[in-house]
Amino acid sequence: MAASIEKSYDLRNIISNNRLVGLWRMLTGYRGTFILANLSLGVSALAKTSTYLLLRYFVDNYFSESTHRIALPIIAAGFVLLAVVEGGFAFLSGRLAAFTAESVTRRLRNYLFDHIQHLSFTYHSKTQTGELIQRSTSDVDALRRFFSEQSVGAGRILFLFLVNFAALLYINVKLALLSIIVIPFVLITSLWFFKKISAAYENYQEQEATLSTTLQENLTGVRVVKAFARQTYEMDKFEKDNWEKFLRGKRLLKMHAFFWPLSDTLCNLQILSGYLIGALMAINNEISFGSYLAYAGLIVWIIFPLRNLGRLIVQMSTGMVSYTRVLEIIKQDREPLDEGDYLPENGIKGHLKFEEVGFTYQEGNIALENISFECLPGQVVALLGSTGSGKTTLVNLLPRFYDYTAGRILLDGVEINRYPRRILRREIGIVEQEPFLFSRSIAENITYGVGRNVTQDEIERAAKAAAIHDSIIKFEKGYHTLVGEKGVTLSGGQKQRVAIARTLLKNPRILILDDSTSAVDTETEAEIRDALRNLMKDRTTFIIAHRVQSIMDADLILVMDEGKIIQSGRHDELIQIPGVYQEIFNMQTRIEVELEKEIASVS
Amino acid sequence: MSADFFEEEEFESKFDGKVFRRILSLTRPHLRWVIGFLICILIVSGLDSVFTYLGKSILDDGIIPGNRAALVNILILYLALSVVQSIAVFGFIYLAGVLGERIRYDLRRKMFNHLQQLSLAYYSRTPVGWIMSRVTSDSDRVADLVTWGMLDSTWALMNILTAMFFMLVINWRLALIVLAILPVLLFVAIQFRRRILGEYRNVRKFNSKITGAYNENITGVRVVKALGREPENMREFGALTSDMYRASYRAAWLSALFLPVVQIISSFALGAVVWYGGLQALYAGMTIGGIQAFVSYITFMMWPIQDLARVFAEIQQAIASAERMFSLIDAVPGVVDRPDAEDPGTIFGDIEFDQVSFAYEDEKPVISDLSFKVNKGETIALVGPTGGGKTTIVNLLCRFYEPKEGQIRINGRDYTRLTLRAIQSRVGIVLQTPHLFSGTIRENIRYGRLDASDQEIEEAARLVGAHEFIQKYEKGYDEEVGEGGNLLSVGQKQLISLARAVLAQPEIFIMDEATSSVDTLTEAMIQKGMQALMDRCTSFVIAHRLSTIKKADRILVIEDGRLQEAGSHKELLAKRGKYYQLYTQQFRSQMETSLEAMLVKSEVIGANE
Repeated sequence: MAASIEKSYDLRNIISNNRLVGLWRMLTGYRGTFILANLSLGVSALAKTSTYLLLRYFVDNYFSESTHRIALPIIAAGFVLLAVVEGGFAFLSGRLAAFTAESVTRRLRNYLFDHIQHLSFTYHSKTQTGELIQRSTSDVDALRRFFSEQSVGAGRILFLFLVNFAALLYINVKLALLSIIVIPFVLITSLWFFKKISAAYENYQEQEATLSTTLQENLTGVRVVKAFARQTYEMDKFEKDNWEKFLRGKRLLKMHAFFWPLSDTLCNLQILSGYLIGALMAINNEISFGSYLAYAGLIVWIIFPLRNLGRLIVQMSTGMVSYTRVLEIIKQDREPLDEGDYLPENGIKGHLKFEEVGFTYQEGNIALENISFECLPGQVVALLGSTGSGKTTLVNLLPRFYDYTAGRILLDGVEINRYPRRILRREIGIVEQEPFLFSRSIAENITYGVGRNVTQDEIERAAKAAAIHDSIIKFEKGYHTLVGEKGVTLSGGQKQRVAIARTLLKNPRILILDDSTSAVDTETEAEIRDALRNLMKDRTTFIIAHRVQSIMDADLILVMDEGKIIQSGRHDELIQIPGVYQEIFNMQTRIEVELEKEIASVS
Repeated sequence: MSADFFEEEEFESKFDGKVFRRILSLTRPHLRWVIGFLICILIVSGLDSVFTYLGKSILDDGIIPGNRAALVNILILYLALSVVQSIAVFGFIYLAGVLGERIRYDLRRKMFNHLQQLSLAYYSRTPVGWIMSRVTSDSDRVADLVTWGMLDSTWALMNILTAMFFMLVINWRLALIVLAILPVLLFVAIQFRRRILGEYRNVRKFNSKITGAYNENITGVRVVKALGREPENMREFGALTSDMYRASYRAAWLSALFLPVVQIISSFALGAVVWYGGLQALYAGMTIGGIQAFVSYITFMMWPIQDLARVFAEIQQAIASAERMFSLIDAVPGVVDRPDAEDPGTIFGDIEFDQVSFAYEDEKPVISDLSFKVNKGETIALVGPTGGGKTTIVNLLCRFYEPKEGQIRINGRDYTRLTLRAIQSRVGIVLQTPHLFSGTIRENIRYGRLDASDQEIEEAARLVGAHEFIQKYEKGYDEEVGEGGNLLSVGQKQLISLARAVLAQPEIFIMDEATSSVDTLTEAMIQKGMQALMDRCTSFVIAHRLSTIKKADRILVIEDGRLQEAGSHKELLAKRGKYYQLYTQQFRSQMETSLEAMLVKSEVIGANE
């Protein structure tokens, strides 16, 4: 269907203070089908009502002396035909509503996904993943139901009411007016009850979540439970949550158990009094037998569906809440990837100059202050400092994950914020301490983000240079092995080498490395060092340094503390000057001496 | 259990009478409730048909003869019966609903309690997610079947039967026409329902993929941005949402088709009744009320048909759910108390591994012929490469598993002759990745000894050096730690789990030392806390830090599941064997990788000078 063509519509346009306006704008491009879906319901309701009017005709003409009669087979066919029209249009409406809702939802899903991946780092670092996912899935689904079930369902009830009431008016005005007295009461009780019921339901769901957490923590902590022999304690804890859920479920059911028979009684009173009045009118010949018959059928379709209107209205109001929640994401500004007026013609060389650069977070915390240094293409800069000293913040400025707030950074002589982010990120490779891998095959992880077709041969060459090839082919499925939950779990060092292979293929001019390796045995450490050496060749490299080796080879060492550079220079220079660096290095030499002493002492 | 047993979220299985009977037996303890709601629903259902018949009487006995008294009488009866029906409606919603909740509760409790008895072997081969959905969604589905499923099908059957009865009474010839169309209706309805169910299963599958895609893209957003993968990811996600679109659109319109089709088929019955009934009215005295009753019965019939079809389609799913649930309930724990097992009152004493061999389920030997003896109160460091068998030794020691061959003796007694409780309640364990439970810090520490006073908890925290950081929280010990302790740092979690172990006053202490980087201050505190514990009991440490190794009374070098070397630090260094290699390697790499830590230290030193 035409659905495969994505309708381009910027969903930022749906931002509106009036939620109904916003929801209406969300339907852009599908308003026609949405209206048709509702109109079809009208036709369907009309056919249903006509069935009763045909019944009236049939009874009035075949059960009394009448001369002008339509032949029986035609009447019979009429019933079938009306059913076909009723059913056909009901189906058409369902199909159109589904088309509308699913199309709108797909557009929304796609937009949200793209929007989220374009939101800034600042946004992501302060927003919880679970919260974002919840809004992109549950809330989007609530909106889908709003369009496909609730609004159409409410439309159906309204049409049923209007058409059937019109038919009643046609049969007898007095009877019709007497038949709807109860409606405001039914509506008010159902609204009141469903508000309560939906609160009770939420309450119940909350407990369900609590119970799941208790269960999950017990299952993942099974060793702790067993080690402390806390089985009974755990059972008691679960029992408490479980029983609470039972109680909340019971409360919810009690409400249902009161609402339905109560509203039944209310509706039945109206209907029975309608029967009485109608029957008396029929006896008095104010209406025909057939009219009474039609009336008895129609009244049911007016009264009972209205009970559900209360439910739908309450549900629709939760749909509106979902709209607000989704809107909060859409309102966020995207990070403009292509903004920037400077497009380097011959690519980037990698000459970087920091001039009194500073960075302050929005809340006012100063993260970097007065950072100045320069490095030439192909040089290695090592950053040394404790956690929170500003190393990571400094390198985050290069791909413009954050924009500096003071001074300037020049790349090849041009200020860095004149480069579009897309170009910078294409030319900067990042290898993190424990890189994030995606749950795809190893080959796909290596080619992830390379942005061109890569042959198997190339992948293997990169993997070999990253010293990961041998580990990969040991897996049963080799390069097609899945990473993560459904596949193998790679060690920190293996992940890092996959990331190195990925970066080799990407071939950036500037490199950001976190060279720490946690819990890697010594053999692999040597391999990783080789891999890193391959990677750093001819690239401007920033190393967040943990190893002596990478520091000694650096062209420039920056010792950082509290967002400032406290020492800078080459290893052989720094070691001469009294200061932090010298102390560290002396301490290490002391340790080496100590080891030798110790070994000597025992032999 | 094969691997695919865990893979598919939902599956259908052949109708299995045994499983079905077992499902029904779940209601046995609550038989009164079942009978109660069945009676209520029979009343509701029977009255529905009676009401239609009363509608006929209004016409035939009241309106047409013009008998007002009869009319009023019929309506009073109608009203009285509708009050009775309302009461029955209350009854069935309450009884079936509460019973459903009760059965859910029963099932969850049964499974949870059984899970506590199962041994670690079961957990290592069964994914947590799999167990979770047995306890949550499967118990729901089964409980729904024995309550709402049973209720709906009873209502539907009763409704069809009574309607048929009244139709036969009114006019048996016309009733036969309706009867002829009934099986067609049922067949079509069931087929439809099955399809729809299948389609929705597809939708759920795509839905969880979409959630997965969101999850991955958000948690990996740094990599996505750094690699400029946005357009490619959008393209992939677009393909996924298109699949989702197709599946859910199809499911939705198939659902929308269902009722109209049923309705159209039944309209043929309606047409036939009108045609034939009209003829009969002319020649054989079919009444107006009779026509009305038939029209009502026929138009109403689609509801019981729909319900029956739904229950029929879902019954297979529910049976599949039940089968998996029962497989969990029937799982036999691998490690259990022997009938003659006893609690010696203490397990503080010598521990001996005597020619112990062990293999996990894959039969690959992990430990072979391992023998060593540990004296009461000693501190043992276990060192060796990853996968060498250190963790397995700990698992055996805690009796999470038992040796396949050989014996482990505590105080000279084979430990399989002791109760599990006797051992596990006296073991304190600190895992590499500390596991905390939602709740307050206090509750988490108290987990070690439930009757500990607040003061004892504080003492334990002080002893391991956790008191300081706990004090800094606004609520102190009553600070919430979050789900799985997520609100705390790894180092803090470790300190709390140490305090928990200290509080337990264990006789055997086991620690798997963390390898993840903890800042230097916390590190020093952890060391201090460990020392406090190790002084009091027999301790085993899977050691990564040189300081810990050096402090141990003895070091066991474990490689390939065998004991390679054993002795004190000095003895082993002098030997110049495996330990010597390991130590010197570790020494250099630790020095090199702890530059950052050094920086902090040197600052501290600098400040002092």
